[in-house]
Amino acid sequence: MNSCSKCGNQQIIIRKKHSGQSLCQECFIESINEKVLKDTRKYKLLEKGDKVLVALSGGKDSVVALHILNSLREKNIIDMVAVTIDEGIKGYREEGIEIAATNAKSLGIEHRVMSFKEYFGRTLDEMMGQDGTGHGDTRRQGDTEPRHACTYCGVFRRWILNRVAQEEGATKIATGHNLDDETQSILMNYLEGNINNLIRIGPKSESRDERFTVKIKPLREIPEKEIGLYAIAADLNVHLAGCPYAGESFRREIGGFIKELSRDHPTIMYSTLRGFDKIKPILKKELTPKGNTGECRRCGEPAAGELCKACSFLEGWE
Amino acid sequence: MQVKVIFGEENLTEDVPEDYTIKELLKKLGIPSETVVVKKNEAIVIEEELIQEGDTLEIIKVIFGG
Ligand SMILES: [Zn+2]
Ligand SMILES: [Zn+2]
Repeated sequence: MNSCSKCGNQQIIIRKKHSGQSLCQECFIESINEKVLKDTRKYKLLEKGDKVLVALSGGKDSVVALHILNSLREKNIIDMVAVTIDEGIKGYREEGIEIAATNAKSLGIEHRVMSFKEYFGRTLDEMMGQDGTGHGDTRRQGDTEPRHACTYCGVFRRWILNRVAQEEGATKIATGHNLDDETQSILMNYLEGNINNLIRIGPKSESRDERFTVKIKPLREIPEKEIGLYAIAADLNVHLAGCPYAGESFRREIGGFIKELSRDHPTIMYSTLRGFDKIKPILKKELTPKGNTGECRRCGEPAAGELCKACSFLEGWE
Repeated sequence: MQVKVIFGEENLTEDVPEDYTIKELLKKLGIPSETVVVKKNEAIVIEEELIQEGDTLEIIKVIFGG
């Protein structure tokens, strides 16, 4: 009971409530490596010869993804480039960038830092009006409340990642999304009735539009807590800090709710994900919006309307 | 008995009863156990681990908001 289920070592670092399995430090690290690589094959996330752009924030999730995918790079199966986005969040982002750079360097992976300021002319802090420039009121016509920082952050980050992926000739964009993130997204979008976003959730993006680089989530079935444990057990250099804007988001509320539920129902996140993955193909078939994606008249990126989301925010501020 | 607790920037000395577990200590300190990894004398331990006199416990927060 108190020894490693795999090797018998008495010093265990985890007892998985959902499976009853106990693991020592070494076997735990090994089991995560194996699980991630197994999922990568199962969901066909990567192909030999892929150039993978890893969205590397320096946080535990992206650093763990970088290190595990690097084992495929060492075997010359894939090529990698790491990209860190500097949203411009004072007192938070600086350390993440430094840690991201250190990780990329230690593995010998090319690393680029791209900033909101250089691409969009303003930092996230400026967008949110934390600097007194008056861009603060992010309310748009018809909105009763200002939009949350996460909305801008997500839209602008996706824009940059897609642009850099094209520049770098990357065939995949890998992110550190974990089981908690994924279950939060499923629940959030379902509860908000946001079916367009709901049917896009999955291990791999499936846009038929070639101008969008395929996005993959190799850590999608690993609980956030286990990624944290892995980072500490493998002694990785990770940025352990919370984003100052994450504060009052709906995502956080949902996240707290699921974590609370998980305490007494340790399989709840797995079953939410499994159930969703089963109904998703049907939802997708029935509910995928028709109509072709055009081009944003401002930046040339793919867009549903005349402007892409990023440009519609930018024009709203001009 | 007394144990040393390191949590972020904080260095505390805590008085705990015999046969106290990590889980109980976290509860006492008001730290949700699902957000942290705990090292006892520099080795990662599970929350059922018993605490002994003179132990140094490092509590590392790995999950932030959400
Ligand atoms: Zn073992
Ligand atoms: Zn645009």
